[in-house]
This record gives sequence, structure tokens and C-alpha cells, in this order.
Amino acid sequence: MKLWKEFIKGIWEKNPILVLGIGLCPALAVTTSVSNALWMTLATTFVLISSNILVSLVKKIVPAHVRIPVFITIIATFVTVVELVLHAFQPGVYKSLGIFIPLIVVNCIILGRAEEFASKNNVLLSIFDGLGMGLGFGVALVVLAFFRETLGANKLFGLTLIPGMEPSTAMVLAPGAFITLGLMLWGMNAINSRKKVK
Amino acid sequence: MKNILKPSLILGFMAFVAAFILSHMNNITYPEIAKQAAVKQKNALALVLPSYKVGPKRKVLIDGTLFIYWVGEKVEEDNTLKGYAFETSAPGYSGEVKSMVGVDETGLSLAISILKQTETPGLGARSEEIASKSTFFGKLFGKGVEEGNVRPWFQIQYSGLKLNEKINIVKIGDWNESMKDDLLSKNSVTSITGATITTRTVAASLENGFKRLLKAIEMDAKSKEEVSK
Repeated sequence: MKLWKEFIKGIWEKNPILVLGIGLCPALAVTTSVSNALWMTLATTFVLISSNILVSLVKKIVPAHVRIPVFITIIATFVTVVELVLHAFQPGVYKSLGIFIPLIVVNCIILGRAEEFASKNNVLLSIFDGLGMGLGFGVALVVLAFFRETLGANKLFGLTLIPGMEPSTAMVLAPGAFITLGLMLWGMNAINSRKKVK
Repeated sequence: MKNILKPSLILGFMAFVAAFILSHMNNITYPEIAKQAAVKQKNALALVLPSYKVGPKRKVLIDGTLFIYWVGEKVEEDNTLKGYAFETSAPGYSGEVKSMVGVDETGLSLAISILKQTETPGLGARSEEIASKSTFFGKLFGKGVEEGNVRPWFQIQYSGLKLNEKINIVKIGDWNESMKDDLLSKNSVTSITGATITTRTVAASLENGFKRLLKAIEMDAKSKEEVSK
């Protein structure tokens, strides 16, 4: 039951993007297409779960005042592994995500979960926390990317939706990302505040 | 003392383990990455110098920067025609745009291939995109269209331009086959809607690269003269 609770909190109650407001940089940058968002989610979730496992394993032997450098070393190692693997076996993905793969190192979600959760809880709970947070991140990214790709490029998974329609380019650019994210946050808050009133 | 030694040892150990893992990871992935780079270069060369026999890669320093080019030859009715391929780049809207260009003896561009760009997706990045002809709903219901066009139109339109003259940029929308003759007669290309900077960058890098190629050929001829002396 506790596992389920740790897992599900990342998707709604403590959604990293929509509630905690962390990890916004990749959320705004790579959501130009749904497939980019999915690959980003996969890469981030892999790093999140692996670093959560390792941080939770070494939490007892790492002295408090060097924990941040140790966590960053662990995270950076996994990110580099992801980067090398993608570069070698998924060159297309590596190319379209570009600089945002190495930037996973500084994604607040990962260090945040290592510091706040994995360094205080056991391995099993940490895995579920990582899975839930990764999924929550992914849901937000995919929804954001869905609106940006359909409205901004008139495409879905790289395929044209309505032939001959001129898409609104602003949605692909930064303003579209900010506006869509803002609307999503508004929707999320509206639903939550209505719940509270009840 | 204890407060310094233990944390340092642990941090050092962690870094050592990380380095160990990554060096192995690199060993596994490096051959694959190198293979891709080689394939990409080979494909680009075959594209920009079709039916030429391409020699080894040459490197020269021109105005302090490295210039990479290839010399190709093909025999046509007792004449040996020379063709050149070179790498060139210029700063685009968000980073370097690097392309490989093939050019014949008379300075007519044969074909270009964009090797690297980080332009805006949906705008400048269309320089490297092949427009898919099948639509999402078409694919969903199994009515996919055969993909005939294998090169981005943006790159096709650079074939046949005179590189020793200025390349003009016109804004008449996406390129298609019917515009070809008109554009070539004006030595011009049509820009990607919303990404004129990218178009200008590629055109400028071509003009600049061709000038550097001429210098490289001149330098090569001079050094040969000296050897024969």
C-alpha cells in the first residue's frame, strides 16, 4: 500500500512539473514533438530510478557534508551512460534531443528526489518514488508536446494531421511552450482548488 | 583530521567507480559511434560527388582555420574531369550549420548535404527534414503514401548553382520541381518560411567555402611546383 502511495504521488499530488514546478527546462525545450517528449521521459526516468537506487544504497556510508558531490557524481555517471548508449544505438534521438541529454545531470527532479527521498528511504520505496516521479514528468511532457506538435507543426509523431493547413509557428517556439504550460498549470490548480472546496 | 580524510576517501572512491564504469561504457559504444560518423561521411561524399572516384581526405590551414576537402576524378569521353568536395560552416540562428558541398571544375555546385545543424525545430531544422507525404490519419487507417522524395527540398535546390557568383535568396515558399529552372537562371534559392537566417547562412557558407577551396587548390598547385623544381 505504501509502495502504491509513493508511486502515485508523483503523477498528481506531487507532479514534478505541474505542482512542484521543477525540471521545467527540459519540459519547455524538448516538447516540440511527442516522440522527443517520450524519449526524454525514458532517459530521465532511467536516470531517476538508477540514481535513487544507488543513493539509497550508499546513504549510510556517505558523510553528510559531501553528500551533494557524491549524489551529483552518481547522477552524472548514469546520464553519461544514457548519452553514450543513445549516441551509439539511437543516433536519431541523440541528434534531436541534443544538449538536453547531458543537461539531465542538472535536472532538479533527480537531485531533488535523491536528496529528499532516496537518502532517507529504503531501496524498494526509492524505486517506486523514481518510477512515479518519472511517469508524472512524462505525462506532463507528453501532454505539452501533444498540443505543441499538433497546433505548431500540424503533425503527430512526425506525420501530417490535416493536409494543407498552415500551422501556427509560435506554438513550436518558446512562447507556445510557456503559454501551453501556463494553461496546464491553470487547469491543474482549478481542479485542485475545486476539490478542496468540496 | 578524521573529518577531512573519510569524506575525501569516500568521494574519491565514488569518482573512481564512476570513471571505471564510464571507461567501459565508452569502450562498448565507441566503435559504434565511430562507425556512424564514417558512414555519414561516406554517404555525404557519395551524394555530393556522384560517379566521381574520390581521393583521400585533405586538410589545409587557410587564414588560420582548418579546411577539409576531397578531390574526385571521373573519366568522360577521354577527358578526366575533376570534382571537389569540401566541408564548410557558418553560424546560423542557434549554432553552427555545417554542410558538405560538391562542386565541379567550372564552379557549378553538384549537391550539398547538411551534416550538422541545431536550428529551431519546425523552422530552420526543416533544412534537414524530409516532408512526409502520408498523413497521420492516413497512416492510422493504413493508407500510407509511398515516400518517394528521399532528400529535403531545401538541399536539392542548391544543386546547379554557380558558386563563383553571389547566391540570391528569394521568398516564394517551399521549393518544388517547377520553380527549378527559374531559380537557377537567377542563381537563387528559395528560403524556408520563417527561417531566412538559416537559408542565408547556408548560402553564405557555400560562397565562403568555395573561395577557400580555390585557395586550397592554388596552394596545392604551388607546393607541387616547388617539389618539381
